[in-house]
Amino acid sequence: MREPPYRIELKPYGRALVELARRRGEVLCLSGDLTKQTEVDLFQAEFPDRFIHGGMAEANMMSMAGALARCGHIPFVHTFGVFATRRPFDQIANAIAYPNLPVRIIGFMPGVSTPGGPSHQAIDDVALMRALPNMTVVDVADAVETRQVVPAIADVPGPVYVRLKRGEIPVIFDDDHVLRLDRASVVLAGTDVALFASGMMLAAALAASRALGSHGLSVSVINVPVIKPLDAAAVLAAAAGARLVVTAENHSIVGGLGSAVAEVIAEAGLGRPLRRVGLRDTFAEGSLDAPYLFGKYGLSASAIVETIWSGLGRAGPTPAAPAAGAESGEYSPV
Amino acid sequence: MRVSDPGAVWAVPDPRELALRIRLRAVRMVAPQGFGYLGQALSSAEQVAAVFASARPGVDRMVCSPGHYIIGPFAAAAELGLIDVSGYGQNGSAFEAIGTERSPVVDYTCGSLGQGLSAALGFALADRFRGSDARIFTMVSDGELEEGQVWEAALFAAHHRLDRLTVLLDANNSQVDGPVDSITTLEPIAAKWSAFGWHVWDLDGHDVSALAAALAAAGASRGQPSVLVCRTSTRHGLDCLPPDADGHFITLTPELAAAAVRELTGKLEALDA
Repeated sequence: MREPPYRIELKPYGRALVELARRRGEVLCLSGDLTKQTEVDLFQAEFPDRFIHGGMAEANMMSMAGALARCGHIPFVHTFGVFATRRPFDQIANAIAYPNLPVRIIGFMPGVSTPGGPSHQAIDDVALMRALPNMTVVDVADAVETRQVVPAIADVPGPVYVRLKRGEIPVIFDDDHVLRLDRASVVLAGTDVALFASGMMLAAALAASRALGSHGLSVSVINVPVIKPLDAAAVLAAAAGARLVVTAENHSIVGGLGSAVAEVIAEAGLGRPLRRVGLRDTFAEGSLDAPYLFGKYGLSASAIVETIWSGLGRAGPTPAAPAAGAESGEYSPV
Repeated sequence: MRVSDPGAVWAVPDPRELALRIRLRAVRMVAPQGFGYLGQALSSAEQVAAVFASARPGVDRMVCSPGHYIIGPFAAAAELGLIDVSGYGQNGSAFEAIGTERSPVVDYTCGSLGQGLSAALGFALADRFRGSDARIFTMVSDGELEEGQVWEAALFAAHHRLDRLTVLLDANNSQVDGPVDSITTLEPIAAKWSAFGWHVWDLDGHDVSALAAALAAAGASRGQPSVLVCRTSTRHGLDCLPPDADGHFITLTPELAAAAVRELTGKLEALDA
């Protein structure tokens, strides 16, 4: 694993999809009027005949994708996470999830990664997709995983929802990192706290663990790229060895990673205190920039530090987490 | 068994007779429960018969957008000897009263309304990718036109010139809360589709000859998808139904069922004579 500051990549998803499409003729690309924004302008340029403009008509686009999948295609459907999940939920349920078809729904701009306000902030997409039988739900953490997630999901027999950050993507993992859809992985080992993170919160979780480490707390960080089906064995193994379990997700605390982890440890009768870092059952707001929102809504490294510090009942002032901000060309962690 | 399955075989010598048989079969399917989607079978019987008469077995596709209409394709397939529908609507039966993923015969159906036309577009695109000229016969109901998705699909089909696509729009003026025109003004239906870029026929949906002619013309249409606006009634062809019979969900007492079987059997015998 690399150390911060993390360098950034642009369009790792868009390039990975083109690479997959070169090898796999079944791959089709559908876009809901957000072609550049979802990086599939690259696909459109190379494979115009396999690119379908769905227009601003997500319901129709999802139902069509289901029928295309019935005919042997592997449709990758692209729009923002909000429009990919809220608006066509019934179509995804009936035309894709229920028939268990290999449609890949790619929702960009997770959580408060966009300052575009509640209409554009996918804070419930994981919860919505996780509730659907047959659906696999993925929230990858960096450019290395983003590159790998495309071939990794190509042959999943059923539907997959992937939420992806837009724009500058950090490179956190080494090149030899292997994304596995059936594994959550311990990326930092620790003994006091099990800190589960998905997607954009991994960088913040790592920063929080380091900050607490210098104050005598040993915090393991478990990267959970696949929220459904959840790697329950890894969750239980990490939670069993800790005094406190914490989840961190760029999403509502209702229905996402925190809920999934809670279900597993509660059903196992593990009895560990749990704290969930995420949007606290609230809509966010529009702003000038996303870091402001991550700070205001408790999704920062310092919010994780504070949650762990108070969750363990530690006395004294809360340790400081590294502040957000980065040089040009570097990833600005939240 | 699905209409598009390779190896599917059937023949419809007389669509008029098949429509009558669909009505009789539908009555017998609904009678054990005493209620069901009989009105949908009555309004669409000629359309279903016309599709089976026009479709090339094992090549063309059939989409039944409103899952509540699946009784019609089931009844037709049973009359053509393609399936055994005994147990329809009963607990554990794969012949569910509202069409599901388990439903045979059609290539797509869904109980959540307004979605079938989009699925038909997906089939049309897939057929275009593989260079097939398969037609896609798509049953849509007028009530479904209240769903926005139908119009999303209508725009897409015309823009992409999906001319292998033919919609049979059952304009029976019936939805759950009452006559469609008392709830939402859809007219002028034909002009709306025309304005969306479709080739439109506006016809008596119980006229088998008119349906056959329009389906043949639609098949020859190039560059435009086609829609047949079929003017129908949920009580058509069954005179014994009371005038206030609920078109969406008909109650069929044993006495009424017996009268319906008598009436339709008599009509069938007269046709055969």
